[in-house]
Amino acid sequence: MITRRDLLKSVGVGALAAGLSSKPIFAAAEKVVKMEAVLPPPKGNRVVICGGGWAGLTVAKYLKKENPNIEVILIEKRPNFFSCPISNQWLADLVSLDFLSHDYNQPASKYGYKFINAVVIGIERDKKRVYTPHGYIEYNYLVLAPGIKYNYKAWFGDNKDMINYTRVHYPAAFIPGSEHLALKRKVHEFEEGDFIITVPPGAYRCPPATYERACMIAEVFKRNKVKGRVIILDPKDDIAPKGPGFRAAYEQVYLGIVEYVPKASIKEVDPVKKIIKTTAGDFKFADANLVPPHQAGELVWMADLIAKDKDGKPTGWADQDPLTFQAKSDPNVFLVGDVIGGVPYPKSGHMGNSQGKIVAKIIASRIAGKEYKPTLPDNTCYSMVNGSPQEAIVINVTYDYNEKEKKIVPKPKVINERSEALAKATYEWARSMYKDMFA
Amino acid sequence: MDRRDFIKTCGTVAVASMLDASIFSNLLASQQDGMLKTYKKALLVKEDGSPLKEEDLKPHNNYIFFYPFVSTPCYLLNLDQEIKPVEIKLKDGLGYLWPGGVGSKKSIVAYSAICAHQWSYPTKDYSFINYYPPDKPSETTKKAGIIQCCAHLGLYDPKEGAKVLDGPPEVPLASIVLQEENGQFYAVGVLGKDQFDQFFDNYKADLRQQYGSTAKAKELVEKCIVMEMDKYVKSVIRC
Repeated sequence: MITRRDLLKSVGVGALAAGLSSKPIFAAAEKVVKMEAVLPPPKGNRVVICGGGWAGLTVAKYLKKENPNIEVILIEKRPNFFSCPISNQWLADLVSLDFLSHDYNQPASKYGYKFINAVVIGIERDKKRVYTPHGYIEYNYLVLAPGIKYNYKAWFGDNKDMINYTRVHYPAAFIPGSEHLALKRKVHEFEEGDFIITVPPGAYRCPPATYERACMIAEVFKRNKVKGRVIILDPKDDIAPKGPGFRAAYEQVYLGIVEYVPKASIKEVDPVKKIIKTTAGDFKFADANLVPPHQAGELVWMADLIAKDKDGKPTGWADQDPLTFQAKSDPNVFLVGDVIGGVPYPKSGHMGNSQGKIVAKIIASRIAGKEYKPTLPDNTCYSMVNGSPQEAIVINVTYDYNEKEKKIVPKPKVINERSEALAKATYEWARSMYKDMFA
Repeated sequence: MDRRDFIKTCGTVAVASMLDASIFSNLLASQQDGMLKTYKKALLVKEDGSPLKEEDLKPHNNYIFFYPFVSTPCYLLNLDQEIKPVEIKLKDGLGYLWPGGVGSKKSIVAYSAICAHQWSYPTKDYSFINYYPPDKPSETTKKAGIIQCCAHLGLYDPKEGAKVLDGPPEVPLASIVLQEENGQFYAVGVLGKDQFDQFFDNYKADLRQQYGSTAKAKELVEKCIVMEMDKYVKSVIRC
């Protein structure tokens, strides 16, 4: 957990890194020590939600719907919402930026929660405080929904220069914002050669995204008659999920444009020389979408709520109860969305939305002093595998709880046969999701 | 309500429904935990304006009409078998008695076509929520004789008051209470958790565009024009 001392230290380090003199450092540190509350202490029950993605937004809205008297505060560092789902279609100009972009003011004003556009710089769980540059906010319940962060250290250790070089030159575009704009520019400006996409190992945000992205980049190459290939380097033995559907698209729609390379665990990345060494061979690239391994977002680390493995090493994902989403070490904190670990749930927008509704019910019930038996979330994920005509495939997963084995069991349903009907359903899925969170 | 009361009520409702709409509605309402909303009694008619007859409804064909508002779509289905009354229990503890089918075979049912999950509904361009007849199962779920919404794969059972079979919806589709009088059919109310508030709220812009204003979209119907789904919707999306 971050302490005031850590905060002082981090402010100092930040200021040093920025090349400031000692006086401003002290002044900045002083400011943190004297930090005042942004809001008066909670009068009733206050729920602070950190992270305004699919999960956080849904918790905020549905908490207010469950009980309008709960004071709900949503803190999000971005000024506006950009949807990662459907962003691959946007890469290929199949949808506009307007379709993916939404403002935070509309749902906040409509449902009556407070929206604070700020970065969370510290969490003190013992004092039940969240720190922002504007001051701190006290809470009764805290919901952490910060999404993911990239683990470039897995590739470059502590070589910050290399990490920054890769971030700038080959953005992963799995976190909304500028990275997506950069990737789109790169794809449309690409003229010749091999464009590599790396699939992260282990759990990562939106499992089918890299495979769908390959199709949409290939669509741009095909449309622009670019002499290029999209090469997918995947550490897995085969494409999953929706493997047959993606493979059929690579072989039938984008033959010669998309090449899938399985069992390609990354051994070394040299972004300067543009070489990636893998267990399936070495690959040179003209340009790339380098997606490093994912981990739970920074706030979960800040709050010291990351699970540990048998050897005591961090797993990279949150340590929460699989059914209630409550942090195992703090009954007043809930972890929701892509950060969670130890459950067979994919990290997806739909899943975050589905979990958000459950968490809202759990917190509202707890505040009301009632018992609530949590339900299990569900997931639907469409992937566009052809851009002309637009055709998609889909996976839907519902879950059962095996009481005897204390295990969550997935029940997947998949359509691997691409169709225009499913492409239309893709947009209906997105439209209704956006309406659910924003309208 | 215990089983005996339930069966008794169903019988009484069935008899009452042949007599008088207000008796029917009042009696049904008394059993519904406040879940029955009565609206204008509206005659179901064909596109030429003549009253819809039972023989006009092909078994397992998906028909659409609008009730109680001019913009709220409903499905009319002839399931070709007796559809018995069902007691519906909701997760919040409330419940209601769904009276089953109407018509000579008690095979005709009607439901709101607004998905109870996130309010997907059939427009003139697309319909993502559809009835899948016994001979045309869903590709995804392999189930037939169901109403399925492709937006998020919610499944409802039209033979059981549109109870949720699978997927994210938490409540059944609202059902449209039908009455038969002298071979003609009337819609008289909506039973269950209707989604109208959310529907009007979410689709405000779309409805304004289609009807001119929200007020116009909320006008109550006097008559329900029943048409085949395929005629109303350009593209029926099945999954």
